[in-house]
Amino acid sequence: MTGLVRQRSRAARLLKARNFVPFVMVCITAILVIMPLLRIVQISLGPEGLMAWSDVTASRLSTNLLWRPITNTMILGAFVASGCLLLGGFLAWLVVLTDVPFRRFLGILSTLPFMIPSFAAALAWGTLFRNDRLGGQPGYFVANGLYIPDWLAWGLLPTLIVLVAHYYSLAYTMIAAALSSVSADLVESAEMAGAKKSHILFGILLPVVTPALVAGGMLTFAGAVSNFAAPALLGAPVRMQTLSTRIYGMVQTGNIERGYVLALILIVAAAALLFFSDRLVSGRKAFTTVTGKGARTKRFTLGKWRWPLFVIAVALGMMTTVIPVLVLFASSMAQQSSGLFTNWTLHFWIGPAGTELAQGQAGIFRDPILLGSIATTIRLGLTVAATTMLIGLVIAHTIVRYKGTFLGNTLSQLAFLPLFIPSIAMAAAYIAMYGTSIGPIPALYGTFTLLVLAATANLMPYAVQSGRAVLSQISTDIEESAKMTGAGPVRRMFEIVLPLAVRGVLAGGTLVFIKIVRDLSLVVLLFSSTTPVLSMMAFNYAGLGFMQFANAITLVILVICLIASALVYLLQNRIQGWKTT
Amino acid sequence: MKHSLIGVVLGAMLLPAVPAIAQNMDEMTPEELYEIAKTEGSVTVFSLSSRIAKIETAFEAQYPGIDLIGLDINSTRQIARLDAEQRADIYAVDVLYLSEAPVVLRDLLPAGMVTKYVPPRVANEVPAELQTDLLTHRLSTRALMYNEAAYPDGTPIENLWELTTDEWRGKVLMEDPSQRGEALDLLTEISLRNDEMAAAYQAQFGEPINVDDDLDGPGEQFIRDLFDNDLVMVNSSSELRAAIGDINATDPSVGWTTYSASRKNEEEGWALQISNDTVPSAGILFPAVLTVAKNAPSPASARLLVDFMMGNDTPTGGPGFEPFYVQGDYAARRTIADHPDAVPFDDLNLWTMDPAATGAARARILDLIIVLQ
Repeated sequence: MTGLVRQRSRAARLLKARNFVPFVMVCITAILVIMPLLRIVQISLGPEGLMAWSDVTASRLSTNLLWRPITNTMILGAFVASGCLLLGGFLAWLVVLTDVPFRRFLGILSTLPFMIPSFAAALAWGTLFRNDRLGGQPGYFVANGLYIPDWLAWGLLPTLIVLVAHYYSLAYTMIAAALSSVSADLVESAEMAGAKKSHILFGILLPVVTPALVAGGMLTFAGAVSNFAAPALLGAPVRMQTLSTRIYGMVQTGNIERGYVLALILIVAAAALLFFSDRLVSGRKAFTTVTGKGARTKRFTLGKWRWPLFVIAVALGMMTTVIPVLVLFASSMAQQSSGLFTNWTLHFWIGPAGTELAQGQAGIFRDPILLGSIATTIRLGLTVAATTMLIGLVIAHTIVRYKGTFLGNTLSQLAFLPLFIPSIAMAAAYIAMYGTSIGPIPALYGTFTLLVLAATANLMPYAVQSGRAVLSQISTDIEESAKMTGAGPVRRMFEIVLPLAVRGVLAGGTLVFIKIVRDLSLVVLLFSSTTPVLSMMAFNYAGLGFMQFANAITLVILVICLIASALVYLLQNRIQGWKTT
Repeated sequence: MKHSLIGVVLGAMLLPAVPAIAQNMDEMTPEELYEIAKTEGSVTVFSLSSRIAKIETAFEAQYPGIDLIGLDINSTRQIARLDAEQRADIYAVDVLYLSEAPVVLRDLLPAGMVTKYVPPRVANEVPAELQTDLLTHRLSTRALMYNEAAYPDGTPIENLWELTTDEWRGKVLMEDPSQRGEALDLLTEISLRNDEMAAAYQAQFGEPINVDDDLDGPGEQFIRDLFDNDLVMVNSSSELRAAIGDINATDPSVGWTTYSASRKNEEEGWALQISNDTVPSAGILFPAVLTVAKNAPSPASARLLVDFMMGNDTPTGGPGFEPFYVQGDYAARRTIADHPDAVPFDDLNLWTMDPAATGAARARILDLIIVLQ
C-alpha cells in the first residue's frame, strides 16, 4: 500500500506542472516517431521478417545487400557532411562577417541550390560529364573531345559532388544564422584586449557557432545517407548501391521485410553516430553570451582578397545553381532529348491537347490535375512548415530549458531520431501503422492528413535543430527576469522567446517548406490519386520518358521555393528591423 | 434521427442487390452501360501507358458526360497502391491497366482485389488463353533491341551467348532488374529455359556448357556470365532507349527494352529495331491486362471503358485501340491486324511468359542478381 502511494506520488511528481510540457512533448514525439518505428520492428520479427534478417546479415546475399551499400552510404554521409561544412561555413563567414562586395546577392545565391531537387543536379551532371559507358548522346565534355573516365562520370565521386552541391546551402543557412548572432561587442572587446585574429576565430566565433556546425553536419549527413535520386541516377551504371537505393529496390520488388531490416540497420548505425556527436557537444563547457543578443555584427576587412573571394563565391553559386537551372530550362523546351538547344517549343508548357507532340498530352499549364497539384503542394508545404515549426520550437525550448533532466534528455534523443529514418522507410512505416483503421481512428492512407503527419515527423529534427541553434543564443536571464515579474510560460514564449527566435524560426520554416515541396522519397509511397503533389508528377513523367514535362514541373517547384524564400527574406528584415546583415 | 434510421434500413436492403447489379452489368451492351454510366459521371483508370491521354480524348468524345481520369502509373506501383488503398478501405479506382501478370495473378486476383470482366461484344474474338484469368488487352514485349542505323545488315547478335563474350563487354544494357519487375521477369524466363540456353551455348562455342556448382542450370549460368561481362544497368528506360537507339551513334550498345519503343524512332531520332533473329530468343512476350477494381465507384463506366479500349471492328481497332496500334504491340483481339511496320505476330521470336512459373521463380532470380551485382 505504501509502495503504491510512493509510486503514485512519484508519478505525480513526474507530472507536476513543471514537467507537464516536456511530458506532453515526449508523448507527441512518441506517437509521430516511435509507434511507426515499433511497427517496423514488429514486422521484422515476424516469420518473414526473421528470414529477412538472416538474408540481409548472414547469407551469400549480405555482401551486396548490406555491407557494400552501407560502406558507400557512410562514405557519402561523412564526406558530404564535411564538404558542406567547409563550403557552407566559408560562404557564411564571407557573407556575414566580412566586407566582401555584394553580400546580399551572395547570401541569396548561397541558399538557392537547396531549392533545386537533387535529381535535377544529378541530371545536369550527366549532361556535362556523361561518357560513353551508356552509349547514346555523349556529355558536353566528351562531345568536345575530352576524355572522361568512368569514375568521374559515374558512381561515388559524382554522387558526392552532386550531393555537396545540393546540401551545402543547408549548412550555409544554419551557420549564417548562428554567425549573425555573434555580437560585435564580443569581438571588439577581444580586439581591445589584444587578441589575435586566430584567437578571435577559435576562442569566440567557433564556440558560438559550434551548435550550428554540429547541427549542419548532422543534417547534411542525414540528407546524404537517405538521398535516393542522386545515387540512383549516377550509381546504377557502375552498380553502385547505397542503403537507400537498396531499400527502395526491396520495397519496389515486394521484398518489403528486407527493406525494413535494411532501414532498421541504417537507423541503428546512424543513431550511434548521433549519440557520439551529441556527447561531443554536451561535453563542452556550457556558456551563454551574457549580454543577450548583440545589436550589431562586426565585419572583418578582407583587403586585397575582397574580389578574388567574391569571384570564388559567385563561381560556386553559378556551378551549383545557374547551370542546372539552364539545363532544366533548355530541356523543357527541346522537342528531342538529343538536341537541347535546337527546335524549341512552348508546347510542354502551354500547348493544347491532341497534337502530335507528347503523344497528344497538353502542356502542363493546361492540365487540370497538374494545376490542382500546384495548390495541393503549396498547401502541404505551408501546413507542414507551420506544424513542424510549432512543435519544433516548443521541443527545442523544452530541451534547452530542461537540459540534464530525464524528460529533457529523452526528448532530445527522440526529436532527432527521424533524421536517421530514411524518408522512404518512414513512409513505409506510416502505411504499415496508419494504413488501416485502428479502433476509432479511420484509415489515413491517401489522405492529406497522413502526408502532413509523416512529413511533420520526418522534418521535425530540422525544425528542432534550427530552433535550438537560435534559442541557445538567447540568454536565460531575460526570460528569468520576465519570470520574476510574473509572466507565465505562454506569455514568455510569445513575448520573449518567439520575437528573439523569429529569424531562426522563419529560416527553419522556409527549410521545411522547401524540403517538403521538392521532396520525393517521402511522398512516393504516401501520395494517392486524391493527393497528387508536384514532385511526384515530375518523377512519374521522368519515369515515362517525358523529360520535358518532368523538367518543366521541376522548374515550377523551383519558382515556388524561390517565391517562398523571397517572402520570408522580406519578412525577416521587417521583423528584426533593428538588425541588418 | 428518424431520417437517418430510414437511410440505414434502406441501405441495408439495397446492399445485397449490389453484386447482382454488377453481375448484370457484365452482360450489358455498351448502350445499356452508357445509360447507367451517365449517372456516375466519371471513371478513374490507372494505366501503365502514357497513351491513356489519347484514350481520354477519344472516350470523352464518344461518350459525352463521362469524365475519364487517367493516371499514368507503372505496374509495380499500381499494385502497391491498390493494395494499400484497399487495405485502408479506400475504393478510388475503377479500372487497372497493367502488366506484371505474375504478381497480379498470384496476389491480387485470389484476394478478390480485382475482378475479371470480358465485354460480351469481344468475348469470341479474344483467344481463350488470353481471357482465362483476366482479360488481356494486348501483348507487350521485353526484347533485345539493336541500332538499325549502325547495323544496316541486321542484328549483330545471332546468339544470346555472344553477349557474354569480350566483344560485347560493357556494351549490353538493361533496366535494373532489382528495381523493375519487367526486367526481372525477362531474366526469370531465361532461367526457366535451360534446354534452349544449353543448345544455344553448344551452337555458339562448339562445346557443351559447364554449369557452376552453385547454379541451377544453363539459364542461371547465362545470367552470371552476362553480369560478369560488365552488364550495364540503368534506372530510366528512356535513357536506355536513347543510348541504344541514337541514329548517329557509331558503335552503339544493345539492350533489352520494349519493342514498341521503336514507334518513337522518327520523333526522337532513334533507330531501334528488334533483334528478332537471335537464338534461342530475343526476349519475352507478356500480357497487359484490363481489369475492374473491387468495389469500383463507377462500375458501369468501368465496364464501358474496358469495352471501349478493346476497340471497334475495324483492322486498326478505331479510336479506342488506335493509340496502341503501333509496332511492337500486339492486340489480344484477333480482328485487329498487326501493325504493318512490325514483325508479324506469328514470326516473333519471343518466349511467351508463363505467369505462374515466373511468379514462383522470381524471388530466386532476384537473389541471384543481388549476389552478382
